[in-house]
Amino acid sequence: MDIIDNLNAVKRGKLSRRAFNRSLFAAGVGLFSAPLLPRRAMAAEGDHPTFFTWGGYDIAEIYQPYEAKHGVLPNFSIFGGTEEALTKMRGGFVVDAAHPCNVGLKRWVDSGLFQPVDTSRLANWGDVMPELVAMEGNDNGAGRPWMVPFDWGGTSITYRTDIFELEGEESWDMLWDQRYAGRLGSLASGGDAWWCGAIKAGVDFKDIASDEAFERISAVMREQRPLIRVYTDDTTTLEQALASGEMAAAMTWNSSAVLLQSEEVPVKFAKPKEGQLTWVCGIMIHKDAPNLDKTYEMIDALLSVETGQFMINDYGYGHSNLKSFDAFDDETLVSLGLSKNPAEILGEGHFMIPQSQDWETRMNETFEMIKAGF
Amino acid sequence: MSDAVSTQGSIPPTQTERRNGLGRLIARSEVLRGYLMLSPAMIIMIIGVLMPFLILVAMSFWTRDGFDFDTTLTLTNYGRAIDEPIFGAFLARSFWVSGIATVATVLLCYPMAYYVAFHVHRNKMLWIIMMTLPFWTSYLLRVFAWKVILGYEGVINSSLLTAGVIEAPLEFLLYSQTAVIITLAHAWAAFAILPLYVSLEKIDRSLLEAAADLGDGPTKRFLRITLPLSLPGVISATFLIFIPTTGDYITPALLGGPDGAMIGNLIQLQFGAVNNWPMGATLSIILMLWIAAVALVFLFVTRKSKESLI
Amino acid sequence: MSDVSYIRRPNRVLTVYAYIFLIVLYLPVLSIPLFAFNDSIYVRFPLQGFTTQWFVQLWERESLWDALGNSLRVGFFVAALSTALGVLAARAITRTRLPGQSAIVAFVMLPIVMPGIIFGVALLVLLSRIGIPLSLYTVTLGHMIVCLPFAIATLLPRFEGFDKSMEEASADLGENGWFTFWRVTFPIVLPGIVASLLLTFTISFDEVIMAFFLTGTEPTLPMYIWSQLRFPREFPSVLALSTIILFVSFIMVFAALYIGRMGLQKNDR
Repeated sequence: MDIIDNLNAVKRGKLSRRAFNRSLFAAGVGLFSAPLLPRRAMAAEGDHPTFFTWGGYDIAEIYQPYEAKHGVLPNFSIFGGTEEALTKMRGGFVVDAAHPCNVGLKRWVDSGLFQPVDTSRLANWGDVMPELVAMEGNDNGAGRPWMVPFDWGGTSITYRTDIFELEGEESWDMLWDQRYAGRLGSLASGGDAWWCGAIKAGVDFKDIASDEAFERISAVMREQRPLIRVYTDDTTTLEQALASGEMAAAMTWNSSAVLLQSEEVPVKFAKPKEGQLTWVCGIMIHKDAPNLDKTYEMIDALLSVETGQFMINDYGYGHSNLKSFDAFDDETLVSLGLSKNPAEILGEGHFMIPQSQDWETRMNETFEMIKAGF
Repeated sequence: MSDAVSTQGSIPPTQTERRNGLGRLIARSEVLRGYLMLSPAMIIMIIGVLMPFLILVAMSFWTRDGFDFDTTLTLTNYGRAIDEPIFGAFLARSFWVSGIATVATVLLCYPMAYYVAFHVHRNKMLWIIMMTLPFWTSYLLRVFAWKVILGYEGVINSSLLTAGVIEAPLEFLLYSQTAVIITLAHAWAAFAILPLYVSLEKIDRSLLEAAADLGDGPTKRFLRITLPLSLPGVISATFLIFIPTTGDYITPALLGGPDGAMIGNLIQLQFGAVNNWPMGATLSIILMLWIAAVALVFLFVTRKSKESLI
Repeated sequence: MSDVSYIRRPNRVLTVYAYIFLIVLYLPVLSIPLFAFNDSIYVRFPLQGFTTQWFVQLWERESLWDALGNSLRVGFFVAALSTALGVLAARAITRTRLPGQSAIVAFVMLPIVMPGIIFGVALLVLLSRIGIPLSLYTVTLGHMIVCLPFAIATLLPRFEGFDKSMEEASADLGENGWFTFWRVTFPIVLPGIVASLLLTFTISFDEVIMAFFLTGTEPTLPMYIWSQLRFPREFPSVLALSTIILFVSFIMVFAALYIGRMGLQKNDR
């Protein structure tokens, strides 16, 4: 605001124009020479990896072994969704590692932007649940995985136990219940919603790419559309709507239910009779990662038991390190929608199968049309 | 400012005669000087607009091929945009929503700008700053704040419920086109007030005095003098709001609900989830052409009405 | 102009309208501090009780401060640069008759007729082809493109509005071009310049769409907030920061006004 001061001084004739000119010029030089360089000495920290991830994964708690060794955290770049992230990387944005989920795995691999992971460089690899590694398309053909599984969980229905009158068993029909038209919510991303639609329509995930599957799922989604108050990708919106009673039930991840319960909102994360949708997200290494060694150290830190306990306790997500679950008793895990034997949860649910880019495009186009009312 | 500074530097304080050759040429040729003053802006625009724009136009004739593009030129995308009803419907809805928002904003802000220009005599700057201060907060947060106000347990519903006016919360307030229009009008108010104020402030008061002396009443004075002279401000305010809001996708995404999505959301989807960049480019070109057409019609109409007013 | 002029007479209806306008303008903005002190991670009524814990948490959230710093730097840079270029361009457009001028003006104004997302993607592709890494500089370039037309649009009415004869008179009196600009043109266009600085800073500080595509490892504040929407427990500290921003800008603006009060009162017409 000293610009305004200066201008007023000029107006009043107290500051000579030459002096004003000089100060303006100096300010200009200052502006040009200093400001856009990072505040922290990034150059000195430049040899630490950059992790391209969701907001909320940029906190010290999940990088403790890394921080203990190097005294600093890795660098972060934050995205709001994996599609956006892939778009940006295809545009030439180079990071060391990124954080996609299994449904996008094939497309991320196909983009040719990533290198397979040398698991021998990860001390915690031996404790990683094999069920999570054995995803379709995760093997590079030479026994190395493309993606290191990190966090996993379910997509199901979080409902208000005091508002939603359950008829019979918990089921995906809850999100198609006419009684609650306009009081149901859904995740906007086809990566969740379309697959849930497939479960509802009774489509086997193996056949999800067939024309018939598209027709059946589309029909189900069209039927649901007028009942939905809002499709959104930010879980905060769904959580708030559930907390206020604006929505009686919504499609969410387990973390939403955990969070609402901790706020003492009477909600339950349903175990639908048809099975819930399960997903896993993990870390992929960029083919041109500038700091490969420390990237492996960072991934190892993410796989550590300390990190796993934090993820389970504070976010309500499953962790890929089996030993992370040991610190919790059965009761705690069940209340989080998890289990002492995590493979059980995975087995009960429908595990998403990575799909091709063409499928993804067609699915998104179809689903977006339906959401838009066409 | 830089070239102005250097011009000054080249002039010895005594007389202007001893300039160097180039300086004299620049001083003498008004056209050259004009181009020189325009050049920094032009360079930025060529790098940031012209080159990306050319890529965009080219891309709108390509097609998607997996992760790559098939660069054979074809009209497929334009064909789709015309044939499939979704694109036209979204375009129409965008123009409708941002048109209403624009008219509302300009109508609501005009008296405000008028008040500050004509009836505030002290601390004018304070008023201007007061009116722009809310816009120092993040756009996203303001959209979010409207969610709180319009929401199910929001300010409006809570107070109406407490007052006993309604029995159950009004649900149409949020996740509707109404919500988008209200939020856009609020979010872009600063963009209306500033140009309106600048054009009103500039009006020569003696013209109004003269009209008053000649016996014109307040209404006549406003219609014959103030309104026509402030039209440039009205026009720029209209453009400054209408055009960016038709392409907005943040507000509809957060507040629009299933029926509030606009063409910006559709374009964003082509570049994001749907991953059909050429189609997104085509839609953008079509959107631009439509905006240009609407703008031309608007300009024509305002010019005509200005003539008839004077 | 004399004080007894009819224009100076206060207009009650307009005054009431102006105050209502301000209240409505501030209503959503003021709900931000309200919830920053609310003891719940959810932003909703009824309020749960008073707390300052979100502000305490804020201090520990270094990434948030980094994001704020990035936005401020980009904002100042963009505002100064686009206003300076805008002044030159607006003067050139209004004072000289250039061949192809209307085409040039149309071209410079083009970003207003294009959705920002297109520039974001197109610029990203362009930059990656040339091999320029994403950084705050690329965000600045993106914001310059968005802000420059706004700067010119704000400045043009000012330049168009004043009597060219004043400049000519100055030139006839033997003043050189720079002096004429400084003595005659500048004071007249000053409100336009202030408006342009405010406007461009605001646009840049707020901008999400370009920033999304052009940000490297350092997010601007809106980008940071966008990513935090997904995490309710992080959100109250975002509200706390916004409260501080609001508070600081209030203080800054009032301080500036206090210091410059005399000059402003005399110079306002």
